[in-house]
Amino acid sequence: MERVVLPTTAAAGEILFDRSARTRWRLGFDRWAGRLLPLLFLIAILPILDLAYWTASSALPTLSLHVLTDVNYKDVDQLGVPLVSTAEVMALATGLAVLFGLFGGVATAEFLSDRAAAWVRVSANILAGTPSVIVGTFVFFAFCIYLGWGFSMIAGVLALAFFITPYIYRTADLALTSVPRHLREAAYGSGARPYQYILRVAAPIALPQILNGIFLAMAIGVGETAPIVLTTTNSVILPNSLFGPVAFLTATIWENFSAPAGTPGLAIALQAAFLLLVVVVALNIVVRLIAARYRKRLEGLYQ
Amino acid sequence: MVPAAPALLTPESRQPLPEPTPPSTHRGGGRPFSRRILPYLPYLPAFVPVAIVAAIVLELLAQSRFHNFGWEFFGSTFVGPGSNDWGIGVFVVGSFVTAIPALFFSMFLGLGIAVASVVYLPRVVSRFLDGFVDLLAGIPSVVYGIWGYLFVAPYFGSALNPWLFHHLGGIPGFGGLPPPGSGLGLPLGVFILTLMALPITTLLIRDALRSLPRELWESGLALGATRWECLRKVALPHSRAGILSAAFLGFGRAFGETVAIAMVLNLVAHYPSNVYSGTATVAAMLFELLDSAYGNSLFLSWLAELALVLLAITATVNVVGRLFISRLSATQIAGV
Repeated sequence: MERVVLPTTAAAGEILFDRSARTRWRLGFDRWAGRLLPLLFLIAILPILDLAYWTASSALPTLSLHVLTDVNYKDVDQLGVPLVSTAEVMALATGLAVLFGLFGGVATAEFLSDRAAAWVRVSANILAGTPSVIVGTFVFFAFCIYLGWGFSMIAGVLALAFFITPYIYRTADLALTSVPRHLREAAYGSGARPYQYILRVAAPIALPQILNGIFLAMAIGVGETAPIVLTTTNSVILPNSLFGPVAFLTATIWENFSAPAGTPGLAIALQAAFLLLVVVVALNIVVRLIAARYRKRLEGLYQ
Repeated sequence: MVPAAPALLTPESRQPLPEPTPPSTHRGGGRPFSRRILPYLPYLPAFVPVAIVAAIVLELLAQSRFHNFGWEFFGSTFVGPGSNDWGIGVFVVGSFVTAIPALFFSMFLGLGIAVASVVYLPRVVSRFLDGFVDLLAGIPSVVYGIWGYLFVAPYFGSALNPWLFHHLGGIPGFGGLPPPGSGLGLPLGVFILTLMALPITTLLIRDALRSLPRELWESGLALGATRWECLRKVALPHSRAGILSAAFLGFGRAFGETVAIAMVLNLVAHYPSNVYSGTATVAAMLFELLDSAYGNSLFLSWLAELALVLLAITATVNVVGRLFISRLSATQIAGV
């Protein structure tokens, strides 16, 4: 079958059906690029599928409800204590980070001049790009040693909170600055005070995006190892004091990953890795679903 | 008799304005606290990130006690406590040696994937596949680490490294000491770092290509260019800045990676002798040594200075990388 070849130049009617070798080469190159380049996706997707499959298949045979729910005493083969402790640490750290980041982002977007805001945003970006080990080192020096709090739960909570604050801060800032300008002008033009504008006009629009930022920050925080390992001591019981030791899922993996094959230590590391993966992937999917929704809403508002 | 209405609007009927109160001479202009301080209170939380960054820098400076290790600090010999050899050169070189090949691979892969996603694949398919790539950014580094250490390392130790050794052994760097059977070492570290930097480079390049105005694509196609030619001659030049920022931010991610590297790189404080050997990076060494330095003030000073070096490099890379992108939009999703 003869293929109709697209014209190669705009000179009207000059070459409409060009079958020269050069044109065939150009079109063939384009067609093969379209066939071969998508294969590169495999290099990114196969490892992630393999990682998920390997983690699940090596954790599931030894995983039972008893392993997950027994929080009385952490034997070497039980995960109840790290799970509950992780939830507690994450709740505290996220609470602190929301406190810092939400108010900070709102203040930056609403009150600061453009120039000042640009400078503050640079520092937030620096903080977001800082390796977590630096934040851990800072908390180790400032809180564990200088303030004498020792390797304690509160130090770990603070380290995580400092580390995830910029993510919440940036989404709050971005969510408020991307509220359509005409809504802002209408609100202030009809005499709203800043808090009225923020709470009644901006918040309903920006809330999904801010929530998204909080979930994202949680997904990043729960997977962090360095800030926790550097600032806390691992525990075998549930935390009973903010200044006591505490267990954490990632720290459990870090401490047990090099245990010999077949030992309970390795089994617990694999189970912890599997649970961590499930939590993080679930949070990421939630983030993407929310993002898809608010993008549609924002597009609607701009029309 | 009806009195005449007062002429309200004549100049004579105007009252003189009251004298303005003279400005107060003491501080605050005589305004009460609630007018002087409180209106500025809402500005305060905006400086939270500035405060955290400043606190980190100041605390690390204070803890380093400005201990002068001399020019030896940038030297290459590290022995540690009980010696006079405190060089960080090995670790800085180790960080670059792992991060730069990882950046090279992830930039090429990222370009290919972004082009396939934006130019060639139907929107529905590419949206689905992009989700997987973005998910790579969300996987915790400790999970990458345990997967690399337990599952990938044996393949590298028994298959890839020996193959490279036998077939490319003539090339300088690929020969020398035979690769260790465990598979831990530079190739595995670079592989894991490539996977970790890939979502960032892909995401930023994809955003840059998508931001090309539709009219430019369409006029290119209407003039008879193929999609590939539109990409090479219009889209890529147009998105140079975005691609450059992808390189910088991907490098920042690879350079600062800690736990995964500490797990899969055979941490030893010497320069790599060939491509299969172990070495040490700044971040991984900081992580490994900090707890053991507790109580040794000289060691702690050195670690604080090491942390400052790491912070200086990553902060510079991040700030420069972000100069090229004016605004983060879709990149928010992966927390870049």
